[in-house]
Amino acid sequence: MRGLGLLSLSAILSAIPASLLASGAVEGRVELPKSRSAPVQAKRYEIVTKAGVLSTQPPLAVVYLDGNFPRPASLPTKEVAQKDLTFVPALLPIEVGTKVEFPNLDDQYHNIFSYSPVKRFDLGRYRPEERPIPSVTFDQPGLVTLRCDIHEHMRGLILVLNTPYFVMTDTAGRFRLDKLPAGHYTLKAWVDSRTTREKPIDLKGGETLHVDLP
Amino acid sequence: MSAAGATRNKEVASFRTRLFTAIMLIVATLTALGFYLAQRRVAADAERNLQQTFQTELSSMHKLEELRHAALADRCNALVAKPRIHAAIEDDAIDLLYPSAKDELRDLMEGEEPPPEETAQSLHARFYRFLDNTGAVIKPPNASDVGELDAATEAQLSLKELPSTQQIGYIQSAGDIHEVIAVPIFSTDTGDLVSALVIGFKPLELENKHTGMQSGIWVDGHLHLPALAPSAVTSLNEKVTIALANSESEQNYFRVEVAGAPQLLFHKRLNPGSLFPLAYEICVYPLAAWTAQLHRLRWQIGGAGVLLLLGGFVASHFVALSMSAPMKKLALDSEENRAERERAEAALASTAEELERSTRYSADASHQLKSPMTVLRIGLESLLEREGFKPEVYEELSTLLHQTRRLTGVIDDLLLLSRMDAGHLQIASKPVNLSQLVDEWLDDLGALADSPDVKIEKEFPRGLFVAGEKRYTSLIVQNLLENARKYNRAGGRIRVSAHGNGSEVVLTIGNTGRTIPPGENIFERFHHSSSPSAASGHGIGLNLARELARLHRGELRLIRSENDWTEFEVRFSAENGVNAAG
Repeated sequence: MRGLGLLSLSAILSAIPASLLASGAVEGRVELPKSRSAPVQAKRYEIVTKAGVLSTQPPLAVVYLDGNFPRPASLPTKEVAQKDLTFVPALLPIEVGTKVEFPNLDDQYHNIFSYSPVKRFDLGRYRPEERPIPSVTFDQPGLVTLRCDIHEHMRGLILVLNTPYFVMTDTAGRFRLDKLPAGHYTLKAWVDSRTTREKPIDLKGGETLHVDLP
Repeated sequence: MSAAGATRNKEVASFRTRLFTAIMLIVATLTALGFYLAQRRVAADAERNLQQTFQTELSSMHKLEELRHAALADRCNALVAKPRIHAAIEDDAIDLLYPSAKDELRDLMEGEEPPPEETAQSLHARFYRFLDNTGAVIKPPNASDVGELDAATEAQLSLKELPSTQQIGYIQSAGDIHEVIAVPIFSTDTGDLVSALVIGFKPLELENKHTGMQSGIWVDGHLHLPALAPSAVTSLNEKVTIALANSESEQNYFRVEVAGAPQLLFHKRLNPGSLFPLAYEICVYPLAAWTAQLHRLRWQIGGAGVLLLLGGFVASHFVALSMSAPMKKLALDSEENRAERERAEAALASTAEELERSTRYSADASHQLKSPMTVLRIGLESLLEREGFKPEVYEELSTLLHQTRRLTGVIDDLLLLSRMDAGHLQIASKPVNLSQLVDEWLDDLGALADSPDVKIEKEFPRGLFVAGEKRYTSLIVQNLLENARKYNRAGGRIRVSAHGNGSEVVLTIGNTGRTIPPGENIFERFHHSSSPSAASGHGIGLNLARELARLHRGELRLIRSENDWTEFEVRFSAENGVNAAG
C-alpha cells in the first residue's frame, strides 16, 4: 500500500514540468497606507473611495507575480456575496478566466452591474433565491468596480490578474507567496486603484526570497 | 307805514336771496370737495385693491411655479444620484451614459406632453442632455431617445462652466420656449463636479381664466406670450425689452397698452444668478374691467354728487325761507322796539326836563322865600323887643315869630333837598364823632321848652366815629331825635344806642308813643300822617334824613313800630381805622 502511495506520488510529480518543480517562495512586507481607523480584528473590510481612489479599509494589498504563465484548463469558481448591503469580500483577486458567482445573502433585491472597461455586465435585479446563482466570467485583466443599482453606496472590487500566483497581505502588509516557479519576474503589489508597486525578482528553486515593497 | 313795510319786505327778500346764495355756495363747494375726495379715495382704493388682487394672484401663481420647480428639482436630484449614471461617468463609460439615463429618465420622457392646464402637475420632460466637465453638451448617440433639438437650441444648453448648484434657465427654440433645469453631478468617488444633467420642460404658462391674467417669458430679447396675438407680442416685446434694460429691481410693474387696451404688466426675474441667460416672467393683467369699474364708480359718485347738490339746493331754499321768517319778524320787532325806545327816550327827556325845572323851581323858590322870611323874622323880633304893647300883642308876636322860624327851617330843608335833587350837594367826608354829636343833641333836647317828660336812655360807646360831613350827619341825628321827642307820649322814653359793625356804624333811635300804621310811606316828601296828631311836622324831615344818609352811603329805615315803640335805624360808613379801638 505504502509503495503504491509513493509510486503514485512520484507519478504525479513527474507529470509537473521541471521548472515548476523547482518551486520557490517570496515573502516580505508591503508598506500600506496608514489606516485612519483603529485596527479591525474582524476579517471584514470594505472598499472606500478617497479622492477618486478605491482601496480597502483597513488597507490591504494584493501581491502577485506578473509574468507569462500557461492558462489552466479550468479554474475554480469564486464568490462575491452581497451581505448586509456590502460586497463580501470587498476586494477579490482572481485569475483571468475565473467565474465569479454573486449570491445574494440579503433579504432584498440587489442589482450588480459594472461599467468598468475591463468587464461590463449587468446581472439585473435578483432575489436571494435566484438560481442558478448569477455569475460572470472575467476574461480580461484589470480592475472591475462592482456597483449595485439599488444601493448606490455599495462598492466592490475584483482585481482580474493574468497570473495564478497572488495573495492578499494581512493588515500589517505581510505576505507570503510560495510554490512559485523559478525564473525572472516582476513582483507587483496592488495597493489601491491608482497604486501598484513592483519589483523585479529572480526566483530560484527551493529558495525563499525576501522582498519588501515600500 | 306801507312804504316802510314795502322797504322792509324788499330787505327781507334780499336777505333771503343772499342767504340762499350763501348756503348754495357752501353746499356746492362741499359737494364738489366731497366728490373730489370720494373720487380720489375710490380711485386709490381701487388701485390698492387691484394691486392686492394682482399680487395675490401672482403669488399664488408663483407658489405653483415654485412647487413645480421643487418637484422638478427633487426628481432631477434623484436622477443624478442614480448609480448607473455615476458609474457611466466615474467608471469611464461615457458611451453608457445616455443608454443608462434612458432607463432612468424613461418615466420623464415617456408619453405625450400634457395640455397647458395640466403642465403644473406634470413632470413631463421634453429633452435632456448631459454636460461634460467643461460644460459642453455631451452629444447623445441617438437624439430621438433624449428629445431631439436643433443645433442652435442644443448649443444654448452648453454652459461656460459646470454649475455647482441647480440652475434654472429658459431657452428659445423656434417660437417656443423651454424651461431647463441643470443639476450638477458630483462624483460619489471623488466628490468632484464631473458632469451636469440638463432637463428641458415645458414652461408653466400661468393663465388665470377668472381675471384674464396671462403670463409669458421674456428671454434674450424675445417675448413668449402665446396667449396674445403675435403682433401684440411684437409691440409689447419692444416695450418690455426697454423697460427691463432700465430696471434694476428684481420685479416691477408698469402700465402698457396692448392692442389699445390698458394692461398692467408685471415682470419678475425668473432665474437670478443663473448661468443661463437672464429670463423674466411677464404677466399682463387687463385693466379693462378695472377701468370700467372705476368709470362706473365715478358715475355713481357723480350721480350721488348731483343728487346731493339738488338736495342741498332744495334744503338751502327751505333753510333760507325758514331763516328769513324770523329775520322778517326780527325786522318788524326791531322797528317796534325802535319806536318804543324813541318814546321812552322822549319821556325820559321830558322827565329830566321836568325834574330840572322842578329842581330849579325849588331852589329858586327857596331863595325867593328865604329873603322875605328873614325880613319878616327880623321885623317880628324887633317888634317883640319894643315895649308898650298889650300882652296879647306880645303873645301874638311870639307865635308869629315861632311860625316864621319854623318856616325858615322848612325853607332851609327844601333848599337842601333841591340841591340834592339837582346833584349839587357834595359832601366833604371827614371823621365825625357820632357819640359826641348825639350827646350834644340830647342835651339840646332836654333844654327845649316844650319837651314832654320823657326819659332818655343812652347806650353807645364814646368816640364812635363815622365818615361824613358833620353838618349833614348832625341834621340826620337832629331830625330823628326831634321826631322821637315830638311823637313821644308823656312819661315815655327815648332810647339811643349805637355800635360799630365792621365797616358800618349802626345808630338806633327808638321812642315810645303812637306807632306808625303799616303801609304808610313816612319817607315820602311832604308826607302827612293819615292819623291826626298833636305833633306837627312839615313832612320833609325823614325824607331829608334818608336822602342825606344815602348821600353818605348809608341808609335810614324804620325797623319797628308796634306796641308803643317805634324804632329807626341809621347806618353810617365807619371811619376806617378810627373805630378800631372802639
